[in-house]
Amino acid sequence: MATSPTVQEKIAGYLQSKIPRARNLALSDFVHSAGGWSHEIYVFFATWNEDGRAMRQGFCLRKDPGISLLRELSNLREQFRVIKALEPTPAPTPKAYWYEEDPSLLGGPFFVMEKVEGEVPNPWSRAGKQFYADAAKRGKLPRSFVEALASLHNLDWRTHGLDFIGVPGDGKDFALREIAKWESLIDQSIRKPEPVLTELLLWLKANAPETRRLAFVHGAYRTGNLIIKDDQIAAIIDWELQVIGDPMYDVAYVLSNLNREGSPLLSCVVEREFFLDYYQQLTGLTIDLEVCRYYEILYMMRSTAFWLSASGLFAEGRNKDLRLARTTYSVPVVLDMAAKALGF
Amino acid sequence: MIPANQLLSEIVTSIREVIAPAISEPYPKAQAYMAAVILEFVARQVEERSDIEEQKHAAMLELLRDLSQLPGVNRLVRGDELNEIGLNKLIEHLYAERGRLGEETFAAANRRVRQTLRKLLDQELKVAGKNED
Repeated sequence: MATSPTVQEKIAGYLQSKIPRARNLALSDFVHSAGGWSHEIYVFFATWNEDGRAMRQGFCLRKDPGISLLRELSNLREQFRVIKALEPTPAPTPKAYWYEEDPSLLGGPFFVMEKVEGEVPNPWSRAGKQFYADAAKRGKLPRSFVEALASLHNLDWRTHGLDFIGVPGDGKDFALREIAKWESLIDQSIRKPEPVLTELLLWLKANAPETRRLAFVHGAYRTGNLIIKDDQIAAIIDWELQVIGDPMYDVAYVLSNLNREGSPLLSCVVEREFFLDYYQQLTGLTIDLEVCRYYEILYMMRSTAFWLSASGLFAEGRNKDLRLARTTYSVPVVLDMAAKALGF
Repeated sequence: MIPANQLLSEIVTSIREVIAPAISEPYPKAQAYMAAVILEFVARQVEERSDIEEQKHAAMLELLRDLSQLPGVNRLVRGDELNEIGLNKLIEHLYAERGRLGEETFAAANRRVRQTLRKLLDQELKVAGKNED
């Protein structure tokens, strides 16, 4: 009886169709990564012969699992287009190769990009924290961390065609759009009333800041979303939350305590004063700490939305990943942070 | 019968010391360790859930009593909604009526609501509060 092809065999067949001159194409070092909450991630090398030459290349495939952490907010096609648009810019990103909508190939949409050489130490782990602390002492990685962020914020996003992701209007529109986006995820996910979250949302709406300048914003710029090679940022990854918006939104994320549990360094890698000075020098922007504080509180609401969505998916039986179940206990913890930030 | 907490503790130990280290694939290995973390939370949840609801109820009762004495706010207070849905509505009404109430009254009512929210949060944190190394 014929057995159905494995995922690895299906991917090999797909690559063969995209590289028709390839002969004897084979995959090796095939890993279904445990990272990635929203998408299935496969990392592998492909080897083949082409015109008498032996070829070897690393690939990374991101696949829509059917129902992702961000639910309807997740858009794989948009991610692919963003990475593609960033290719000719100074921002370090992987090369994007192919996007496929057809679910008959792997069971859902996916895209294939370059496997960038380097490592992504987990900043929440002891070993990861140590890695970043050691790199911080050497000094090269903190500089690269700030430079990569500045490369995004200095981008002429219209010229590079990134306005397709949506451009907010003047004034408070960016902040209010962000709140509305995450509130929609909360509405889809929430399983019991959360009065602390209600208070938080209403406070955020009542205190939304005006955006002074629009920039291309990553939305989750931190260690853990950066591939590092030789103490340099080789690529910025995890393109799911990017927006055209207030650059202080990214700055606030870097400044946030959410990303440096127990580390005195921002994002576990950069001294606060150095970050503030060097970022302002590279971008010509003035960091508004009050606005950043507001966005930090907005991130607490966003984290709550993530955790409600994640635990909701598990409770609804739509995703069996146990990491999602664990997040139900993160909801009160992050709401506690928000309550303290609001003074109660 | 082995008490539930002891049983859960044994399962956690088994996952951490036997099952997870034997798994070589990164994804199922991470799943096994995460199961151990979740079971530790569940053990605390089983133990503490009943008193939490009582404390929450008492906090909300006190809030409604206090707010009903605040001029202008009392008409927003409904005794038949002594739960988190009712509290949500109350918060929304307070913000919606902020202009009518005036900043001083709004601030006083909001401060009092936040005291209760803190109490509710503290109850939830009995289960979810950090206890990881």
